Amino acid sequence: MKLFWSFTRQAFHNTAVYRVEFWIRLVSILLAMYSIRAVWQTLYTQRPDAFGLTLGQMVTYGVLGMALHAFIDTGSEWYIATQVRTGAIDTDLLKPIDFHVHMLARNLGEMLFGMGVMALPTYAIGYFVFGLQLPPDAGAAGLFALSVLLGFLVQFHLGFLLGSVAFATLDIRSIAWAYFAVISFFSGQMVPLWMFPDGLRAVAEVLPLQAVYYIPMSIYIGTYSGPEAWSALGFQALWALTLAGVARLAWHQVHRRLTVQGG
Amino acid sequence: MNPISLYLRLVRIAIKARMQYRADFVTGILGVIVMNVVNISLIGILVSRFADLNGWTIWEVVFLYSLWILGHSLFSLFMWHIRTLEDYLVQGTFDQFLLRPASAFVLFIGREVQYLGIADFAIGASGMALAYSNLRLTWGPVEWGFLVLAILAGTLIEMTLTLMISSIAFWTGRSRRANGLVMQVNVMVQYYPVDIFGAFFRVLVTSVIPVAFMNYYPALMLLGKVEHIGAWWPLAYASPVVALVMVGLAAGVWQLALRQYSSAGG
Repeated sequence: MKLFWSFTRQAFHNTAVYRVEFWIRLVSILLAMYSIRAVWQTLYTQRPDAFGLTLGQMVTYGVLGMALHAFIDTGSEWYIATQVRTGAIDTDLLKPIDFHVHMLARNLGEMLFGMGVMALPTYAIGYFVFGLQLPPDAGAAGLFALSVLLGFLVQFHLGFLLGSVAFATLDIRSIAWAYFAVISFFSGQMVPLWMFPDGLRAVAEVLPLQAVYYIPMSIYIGTYSGPEAWSALGFQALWALTLAGVARLAWHQVHRRLTVQGG
Repeated sequence: MNPISLYLRLVRIAIKARMQYRADFVTGILGVIVMNVVNISLIGILVSRFADLNGWTIWEVVFLYSLWILGHSLFSLFMWHIRTLEDYLVQGTFDQFLLRPASAFVLFIGREVQYLGIADFAIGASGMALAYSNLRLTWGPVEWGFLVLAILAGTLIEMTLTLMISSIAFWTGRSRRANGLVMQVNVMVQYYPVDIFGAFFRVLVTSVIPVAFMNYYPALMLLGKVEHIGAWWPLAYASPVVALVMVGLAAGVWQLALRQYSSAGG
């Protein structure tokens, strides 16, 4: 466990080194928040009745989607793909820690960095500038935090699986673009699932992607509460476990057949 | 050899180099198509649910998106690697362009092609065709001519912006994140009509980062919505002029950058 946290801490520090990058990322998150707010505000002003929510809830949903995006996706696929392409993956395999656990520790560190240093401050700014809302009560806030953690686990394992594709193809860029687009669509990050046409909504509700954004955000704005929130958390936990299992299985297969060139 | 035929020869070589990786080609094209279809559908869901977005119907929004991506496609085909200028500088491989008896700019710009621009172009052309028929547009030669000018202006605006931002790396060694930031502003303009944003953002994308001239302003002219911007109507026709001014600025920045360049060695 101590080893686990040392990798987590290291990842946190690695990310903290680049100052200019920090400021640019900060501005970039604020811009994303600003744009989504402009869209919802325009739509709301046109037809206030079409939401079933208040403007405050809707804007909060949109801005929160941008804040979560700033840390929940730590890009584990890029790390794995780069290590594979350059052959540096052998240094990861030499480490005295299971690869999957190592990746989890590392990405957890980056996630905590993104949350503490990027997302929380920008969200706090957004809270005052854009007039955002807080969760309905402390209980909902707690469930939201738990839900974000589960969402991170789902996102991490999807990334881990995508990164593992690099062992077969070396380059995952083009697959990754399609993957990101599909995630931003079906996860409800930009548009909540209940605004989808029925057919698409049915698809989105089966996929694990809603566990990354839609579920935590619905708990935050209060459209999921009580038993509904708990069953949504169960859905997330189930997918996190399933994907973790699949990821370990896939890694086991890859590891057995792996040959590293150069190095 | 004159710069243009040198450039064409370099592009032929770059294409040959690219064609070594056919599998990449297919997955890459598919990836770009999926990405764009998903993006358009997301905006489509929103706009169709609310009938329009600040007076822009769903097909007008598709038109904006397509006009942007048509200009962008030429950039991404032939000039995408401008964004990687910092790698050439940091690794010292930029020196190859300075050692040959030709313009460093032509050598650099002809160094690579990025086939994904083909997918961008296909998407832009089909989106534009769909929007044209659904909006029941009937253009005369003036509009068609202006469309071509607007697309070329879009390419030049994106290229010159990217070149200027990437040139920051001549001084600081880094420019990728700054490019990413500008790209983000650019994507906002690609997806949404600029008039849903506040005054600050509208001024920003009209003057400092003039990406609104890639699609928003020329679209006002092409869709007959010039009255949208009232007394500012000349902006709807200004894209080609803005592109030329940007070319002048970028050429200046590039000269300045080259003059103070000192190699990283390697």
